[in-house]
Amino acid sequence: MTPIQKADLLQGTLDMLILKIVALGPEHGYGISQRIRQISKDVLNVQQGSLYPALHRLEKRGWLVANWGDSENGRQAKFYRLSREGRKQLSREEATWSRLAEAVTLILGTTANQEV
Amino acid sequence: MLRWRNLFRSASTQDELEREIAFHIEKLTEANMARGLDAGEARRQANVEFGGREQVRQQLREVHSSAFLSTLGFNCKSALRFVRRSPSFSLAVILILALAIGANSAVFSAMDALILRPLPYPNSDELVFLGQHDVKSRNANRFVAPVRLEDWNRMSTTFQSITGYYTDDLSETSGPLPEKVTVALVAPRFLHVMAVAPVLGRDFTPEEERWGGPAAALISYGVWQRRFHGSADALGQKLHVGTFAYPIVGIMPASFSFPTRDIDLWTPSAPDAPFAQRRDATWFTVIGRLKPEITLQQARADLATVQTQLGAQFPKTDADLSVQAMPLKETVVGGIRDSLWLVYGSVSLLLLIACSNIAALLLARTADREHEISVRFSLGASRTKIIAQLLTEVFALAAAGSLLGLVIAAIAARGFQLLSSELPRAEEITVNWRIVAYSFVCAVTATLLCGVFPAVRGTRRQFAQSLAKNSRTQVSGRNLLQWTLVAVQITLAVTLLTGAGLLLRSLHGLTRVSPGFDPSHVLTFQVTGSWGETSDMKTLTQRIDRTLNGLRSLPGVEAASTAGMLPGVPALYQAEFKIDGHVDPNHKIMADSRYVSTGYFETMQIPLLAGETCNDSANGRGVLVNRSFLDRYFADRSPVGHQLKAAAYNDFQPEGSIRGVVADAREEGINAEPVPTVYSCFSAPTPFPNYLVKTKGDPSAMAETVRRRIHELDPERSVYGITPLQSHLDQSSLENRLRTFLLGLFAGCAVLLACIGIYGMLNYLSRVRQKEIGMRLALGALRGQIVRRFLMQALRITFMGCAAGLVLSLAANRFLESMLYGISATDPTTYVSVMAVIVAVAAVASFIPAWRASRVEVMQVLRQE
Repeated sequence: MTPIQKADLLQGTLDMLILKIVALGPEHGYGISQRIRQISKDVLNVQQGSLYPALHRLEKRGWLVANWGDSENGRQAKFYRLSREGRKQLSREEATWSRLAEAVTLILGTTANQEV
Repeated sequence: MLRWRNLFRSASTQDELEREIAFHIEKLTEANMARGLDAGEARRQANVEFGGREQVRQQLREVHSSAFLSTLGFNCKSALRFVRRSPSFSLAVILILALAIGANSAVFSAMDALILRPLPYPNSDELVFLGQHDVKSRNANRFVAPVRLEDWNRMSTTFQSITGYYTDDLSETSGPLPEKVTVALVAPRFLHVMAVAPVLGRDFTPEEERWGGPAAALISYGVWQRRFHGSADALGQKLHVGTFAYPIVGIMPASFSFPTRDIDLWTPSAPDAPFAQRRDATWFTVIGRLKPEITLQQARADLATVQTQLGAQFPKTDADLSVQAMPLKETVVGGIRDSLWLVYGSVSLLLLIACSNIAALLLARTADREHEISVRFSLGASRTKIIAQLLTEVFALAAAGSLLGLVIAAIAARGFQLLSSELPRAEEITVNWRIVAYSFVCAVTATLLCGVFPAVRGTRRQFAQSLAKNSRTQVSGRNLLQWTLVAVQITLAVTLLTGAGLLLRSLHGLTRVSPGFDPSHVLTFQVTGSWGETSDMKTLTQRIDRTLNGLRSLPGVEAASTAGMLPGVPALYQAEFKIDGHVDPNHKIMADSRYVSTGYFETMQIPLLAGETCNDSANGRGVLVNRSFLDRYFADRSPVGHQLKAAAYNDFQPEGSIRGVVADAREEGINAEPVPTVYSCFSAPTPFPNYLVKTKGDPSAMAETVRRRIHELDPERSVYGITPLQSHLDQSSLENRLRTFLLGLFAGCAVLLACIGIYGMLNYLSRVRQKEIGMRLALGALRGQIVRRFLMQALRITFMGCAAGLVLSLAANRFLESMLYGISATDPTTYVSVMAVIVAVAAVASFIPAWRASRVEVMQVLRQE
């Protein structure tokens, strides 16, 4: 399957994905991009040019908390984890997303004879 | 706050970004290598894969560039636009604020240097002035006997050490001509108490501080530069001062000028000298350094205990004495404090007026900009944002104003230094970072004072909407806030003007007062001498009388005499006297004690009322009294022939039979009523008394003749302080004239600002009410009625402001009471004239816009509608 580039992602979707990944446990920027790719089975490939600004924006808003720590190869890396505020934000976005997805599915599923 | 931290942290943030990116590329490289690529290729591909690194950096920077900064940038731009769009308005605001903030900063710089900053010595708050005070006789003499100083130093427990000093004006004779030098003769431990070390050389040794020890002198930085051109060879060289030769052992730093700024050298005065052993021979001015953490109260209690012990030990000389202690700073700065606070208070009122003036201008302005504001609202700007923008605009003006104000302050500080060379510490008045910080604070305060009202008000949505309607059909009022601001300006202007008026009338009164003596054509000067000469009073008085006779024989000299203190220069030396040996404890005889020589009353043209004048001052012991003394203590009796003697025993106290009575003269200061005075006929109260020479022509023209004659008589002595008596008098009233001038200036500015305030307000009203006026005229109103309506509105506010100002100034002017002469702080004439002036000026200021309002072209207005 062709990977979906950032431009194709809905505005705000990337933020939600990042929050979700980080909710699984503290992760650094490289790790986050890898996880998104693996979990989406290579459909979503986040460019670093969008990943890092998004991470820093989320940190600035207080949804992510960043700390420097040792990575698996022993080098220092900046790890991001979810703040309490971020967790709330994630559940809000998940709710919005599933409503949106339902709505979109409904609309796309409409056939001619169902028209009112 | 967080934003500010961001600003400062930006460097380390930058660093973190780089590390984060580097880590990512590292991981990509590792992954590529795992896929079997060699290291170089793996890194190259990783870089490609990561993409435009610079682009990422740029995006991250954008995320981090603080919102605050970008808003600030935007607001500043909008402020610049604002200035460009209305340059004359902006210029007016900047100039008003520059004057107000500049004047304020200038006065603050003087306050800071004279009052707020500590004295320029280490831990100077530990320095205390100590004086002895005779409880019984209330003798004003605070000098301390050397032996008592040593007792205090030894017995007290709250002081690190205590020392003292007195000064001599002597001649230094190693040059071709004798040069006057001022010598501070200091008790042991002087530099220890001051906690200042010589820049070169050393402090005195204990041997040098003892009687009969080797001679030694510390010289001032000025003398070092002047006489030795700053060469280190100066150490060990000898200075010939008076009858002694002093080897120089050290050079003091340039900043050290204690006790006065014209001290040339310091030399020890041994307290164990044989002539210093009497407990009633007092000459030291005493200062001490408190131990750390000791309060003035503790020190006072300690010294009281010490003095009680001394009183028991030496009942005759010490029993009646108490010890006074006060911070040294208070004695240095002294009476100037009140004047400074007065001037500072008034200049702050001026700043307040300026701010309310600008606030009113801005209110009118914001009303004009209502369209722009509502557009911004509809574009989604929050109210806070718009307020911030409006405040930034004002701040830009205030900052420009305060920058310009700093220039004014710098000029003023220079002026202070020149004007007030006689003020203590005047050389410390400079524009430094404290003044810069102060004027910045002023700018912020001004921004808030003049910006907040208009900003908050102008951004109220319903206000903007109502204005939008009103601008078309406004009928009246709803300008309460603006009118209040105008009234406030008038109130404060009235307060300032009454204060200035009172001071001015008081000063004017003083110039009309007859001082009782004639200061014109009198030349004053001193001739160097040494306190050591007082051990042989006969020779000393002979020397002075010989000099006086030499002066009298000069052509062009009408009379010559000496006096302990200059007439009319404020100084009061109160002492208690007894007549014919009687002391009545219920009716103390207190009088100002002055020493004058033969010829004094002729020189000063003080008339003799009874008896005979001083005619044998060389032998001393005759006294004269003045009219006030006669009236108070002798009633109808003739005082001539009665014996007068100081109540407290003291070498230098006068005694003798009363020879005559002279008229009252304002000897203690032109602004002080004459007090009972005892004149002792004695030509040598000090080794360097003031000479007074009455000349036929211009006294200054005689200076050279006098100098030459003294040189003929006494080649080793030098003449100094040659000045006409009148300039001494001018100098002593300088503080009074200066504060009157400044207050007058500020009051003038205040009235001008208040006028601009009224004018601007009416101008604004006539603009927004143009249509209403047009309607009225169309409906048959007379132009005169329109003018009258406007004028009445302005005058109503003026009267209200005047009433409030009256109350405020009655309260505020109580602080002036002690500075006024011959006029009360509630002088009705002053208050009435101030009101009249304000009302008249306000009427003129409001007439122009009122008249212009009535000139509306009816047809044009109606067509617009």
